[in-house]
Amino acid sequence: MKTHCPYCSLQCGMTLAREGRALEVQPWPEFPVNEGALCRKGWTATGLRGHRERLTTPLVRDRATGELRAAEWDEALDLVAARLRKLRASYGADAVAVFGGGGLTNEKAYQLGKLARVALGTSQIDYNGRWCMSSAASASNRAFGIDRGLPFPLVDVERTDVLVLVGSNLAETMPPAARHLDRLRENGGHVVVIDPRRTPTAERADTFLQPVPGTDLPLALGLLHLLDGMGAVDEEYVAARTVGWPDVRRAVASWWPERVERVTGVPAAELRALATLLAGAGKVMVLTARGAEQHAQGTDTVLAWIDVALALGMPGRPHAGYGCLTGQGNGQGGREHGQKADQLPGYRMIDDPAGRAHVAGVWGVDPDSLPGPGRSAYELLDALGTDGGPKALLVFGSNIVVSAPNATHVAGRLADLDLLVVADLVMSETAALADVVLPVTQWAEETGTMTNLEGRVVLRQQAVAPPAGVRSDLEVVAGLAERLGHDFSADPEEVFTELGRASAGGRADYSGITYDRIREEHGVFWGGARLFAESFAHEDGRARFVAVEHRGPAEPVDAAYPLHLTTGRVLAQYQSGAQTRRIADLPDAGPYVELHPMLARRIGARDGEPVVVATRRGELKAPARVVDTIRPDTVFVPFHWVGANRLTNDALDPASRMPEFKVCAAAVTA
Amino acid sequence: MRTVVVGAGLAAARLAQELSDVTVLGDEPHPPYNRILLSAVLEGTHDPAALRMPVPASVDLRLDARVVEIHREDREVELADRSRVPYDRLVLATGSIPTLPPIRGLVRLDGRLDERVHAFRTLEDCRRLDAAVPHARNAVVVGGGLLGLQVARALAVRGLATEVVEGGEHLLRSQVDARAGAILARYLTRLGTAVYTGARATRLTGAGLVLDNGCTLDTDLVVLTAGGRPSTALARRAGLEVRRGIVVDHHLRTSDEHVHAIGDCAQHGDQVTGFVPPAWEQAGLLARHLRGEDVAYDGARTVARLRATDLDVAVLGDPERAAGQVVEVSNPVTGTHRKLVVRDGVIVAATLVGDLSRIGLITQHYDRATVLGRHEPGELLTNDRPAPPVALPDDAEVCACAGVSAGRIRACASVDEARDTTRATTGCGGCTSAVRQLVLEGAPV
Repeated sequence: MKTHCPYCSLQCGMTLAREGRALEVQPWPEFPVNEGALCRKGWTATGLRGHRERLTTPLVRDRATGELRAAEWDEALDLVAARLRKLRASYGADAVAVFGGGGLTNEKAYQLGKLARVALGTSQIDYNGRWCMSSAASASNRAFGIDRGLPFPLVDVERTDVLVLVGSNLAETMPPAARHLDRLRENGGHVVVIDPRRTPTAERADTFLQPVPGTDLPLALGLLHLLDGMGAVDEEYVAARTVGWPDVRRAVASWWPERVERVTGVPAAELRALATLLAGAGKVMVLTARGAEQHAQGTDTVLAWIDVALALGMPGRPHAGYGCLTGQGNGQGGREHGQKADQLPGYRMIDDPAGRAHVAGVWGVDPDSLPGPGRSAYELLDALGTDGGPKALLVFGSNIVVSAPNATHVAGRLADLDLLVVADLVMSETAALADVVLPVTQWAEETGTMTNLEGRVVLRQQAVAPPAGVRSDLEVVAGLAERLGHDFSADPEEVFTELGRASAGGRADYSGITYDRIREEHGVFWGGARLFAESFAHEDGRARFVAVEHRGPAEPVDAAYPLHLTTGRVLAQYQSGAQTRRIADLPDAGPYVELHPMLARRIGARDGEPVVVATRRGELKAPARVVDTIRPDTVFVPFHWVGANRLTNDALDPASRMPEFKVCAAAVTA
Repeated sequence: MRTVVVGAGLAAARLAQELSDVTVLGDEPHPPYNRILLSAVLEGTHDPAALRMPVPASVDLRLDARVVEIHREDREVELADRSRVPYDRLVLATGSIPTLPPIRGLVRLDGRLDERVHAFRTLEDCRRLDAAVPHARNAVVVGGGLLGLQVARALAVRGLATEVVEGGEHLLRSQVDARAGAILARYLTRLGTAVYTGARATRLTGAGLVLDNGCTLDTDLVVLTAGGRPSTALARRAGLEVRRGIVVDHHLRTSDEHVHAIGDCAQHGDQVTGFVPPAWEQAGLLARHLRGEDVAYDGARTVARLRATDLDVAVLGDPERAAGQVVEVSNPVTGTHRKLVVRDGVIVAATLVGDLSRIGLITQHYDRATVLGRHEPGELLTNDRPAPPVALPDDAEVCACAGVSAGRIRACASVDEARDTTRATTGCGGCTSAVRQLVLEGAPV
């Protein structure tokens, strides 16, 4: 059975084969994104099948004992529906909130949005994708009028001249993608990596810049300054295909290289060398990832890098341009079909009357009955259980207490809810706090589509029967909708067809895509394989330069918290680790604190021995990992375990509402 | 609340950007431009069209508007054309005035500068010099400070035989010590620029520039970069407190609470800064203060950087006068000189010549007053040595994607076997060559 990996946005093609009772992962060499390659997460993906920690019966918290006890599905769903109805009657429709995930299939994302807007009538729905690539999404919408992570197939990387990776560690986070990097270098291309850590990705680069966390934006301004100064701006392209360059040009006049050096910690000579490299290249591709995006200035940071790509005349040119390397498996599709607070299916904005009318027509409801925009993910969680905030939360595909910033505070908000319902495969840290836990199917046990980082819609096909007692998320949603008086399909292909109709004419239009076409064509790109060749998606067809200024991290370092803390992933784990930490073949050594030998010596830390990282929000004790690959003024903690996000800052980007996961002020003691 | 800014330099532009209801009065004919880049324009590495600073459309920007008087009692400034501009708050950003060194013959009998003589402060100066370069064979730069060295390098890059004359005993004498100055002089000499230190130019004649050491330097161009002084005449006439510069407090306020001063014309404590980054910083801070934020100026943490091709110099603070322990590594053979002045674990000043590889970190520590460990200043001045290659131990992870150790791969007879049994090389592909090597190592000899 041909399918795709359950984890990251690369959605590597794989074959699942039955070997007796076992289910084995085998290569699918014809699938072009990964050509049969997989990382150890993919190879071991079936490890959760039949796992002893798998949930197979609904659980309801007993009011008398406070313990979770097994329940029948009808009992659990009846209970949830009754309490939702009651809360709605007492406090209004917005008393019920829904929290989704960027790992859910398109069909689930769509149905969750419909559940919220139609069956619950609530505006309060958002999802953890807000914490993934939302800054790149808002920047791309602003600059290009459309948001598709990569506007070209990933394989185009191999044919560019200079590839600039800003805040991406793809060799660890999506290893098979690194093959394209190596092939680019074999073709004579040049790879540039910008990261506060010399990551395995940086080790494969020709040029490596190591800025202070939170300064990718001024680095881009400095590049624009130099490119303009050396006459490397593609004036013809700028005149024909863009608006806004004069404002950017003046704004960057004050970002001379030595000023950039002082702010970013990148020597002026390195910046000059990079500018010279870009100025001399025929084709330049700039890709950002979470390192650049997960900031209170994430949108502006991406806009600055898009400005670099536009100034060089790259977007729309073959094997060149700007793209975002999406993180979660369905980070792309998850944001297109209505689980985002401000959007309806097809990437329609919820305050657009024409969009509301179209979607309401497909749903058979009055457009005026659809709620307006709700709170963004963190703001939603921050409001839980408060006056005027939601009293009930339904969680699908997310492990909030591990993945939310300022996690101790968020756990406190969850505790103040009247009702927390979590659908999950295992007893995640968030499920453990729930009043009702609903056991759901996992990837190989169900069918559905995902949209990978290239905007390619792929099909994950059911390969095995689910264990007795579990239901798919679609069945759970349909069961709740039914109890609230609505008839929702639980059949993925039917839901996908309806999604196609709802998205028709929207910015992300899936109307021509069918399961059969996906099977036949190795996935189908919405909007076509390559965008922008002729025009951009703004009404006048032109891209927008946007002048941005550097404000710096929301929480600058000071005498009490003198170090920058940044967070990220390790190869063998995925997201909150709810799945990967339970797979026996994946190493799970727990969190650690990466620090430079100079810093280690300063505080008396030794490799392997515990250190304490403290921020204004919490503390984490974990073993030190002393490495010379990190800036000496910065420490790094991976976020797959409880702890890292107790430290992180919940300052939000004003446009994308992205929290500042990637930099805050910290102190470290041995 | 109307803010009037006298001067339209970099600091004025930044202030205008960050405040509303602003009038900017500039005496140059150009809208604000980035003066710091003029030497790069001269060198030919920066497009003069890319110098212009952003000024919001809402700003009342008046060019060719020279202020001749401040009438503090009326809260008005008077322009050369006798018109008056009222203010609620006045900001003086009048910059500095280049000083003419005592060289006879600079000024002709008709009162104009000898046509070989150039200043280098404004865009006009830069254009005039730029236009003269194609017709010149050689040039003498008077002044071995930051600006002088930048101009000298720019002219040399443009192909002129260039010489530098510095009256002090070594180059950059107000920033660095004699050893650093000597290393710089050697760099310049190696780059083809002659350096005369401890020599004063006394006379410009038809034969050239005559020095007090007896040399006469035959030259087509003489560029004067030897210093400037704060432009304080307006403030002095208006009765504001002026010492070397216009005296300001921690809110950059002069002795009149309605008048502020920033940049080269201002004096905070004993400090007159005289170059762009502190002026820029002061403008940002004053804008915040005037917007009502609770901020105070505690003196500039200056980082002076020489902007010239092939000359790597950074001076943090005042390394020759700052109190503290000195940690330094000087290597005249390789031409590097690095010195940190450390007080209570904090870098309070530094000189870096010839090796800026650690500047990104050292300036971060300096700006943030990071308290370093005892060994750290020394470590910062010692370059990382690459570790010698060693044979991988059997338990070292070779393929991170599949989690395979060197030992397991050594046990395989071929790359194919390693791939099929361990899945090494099947992820990112980065370990392919290492696997090939280990399979060979494991093979029986």
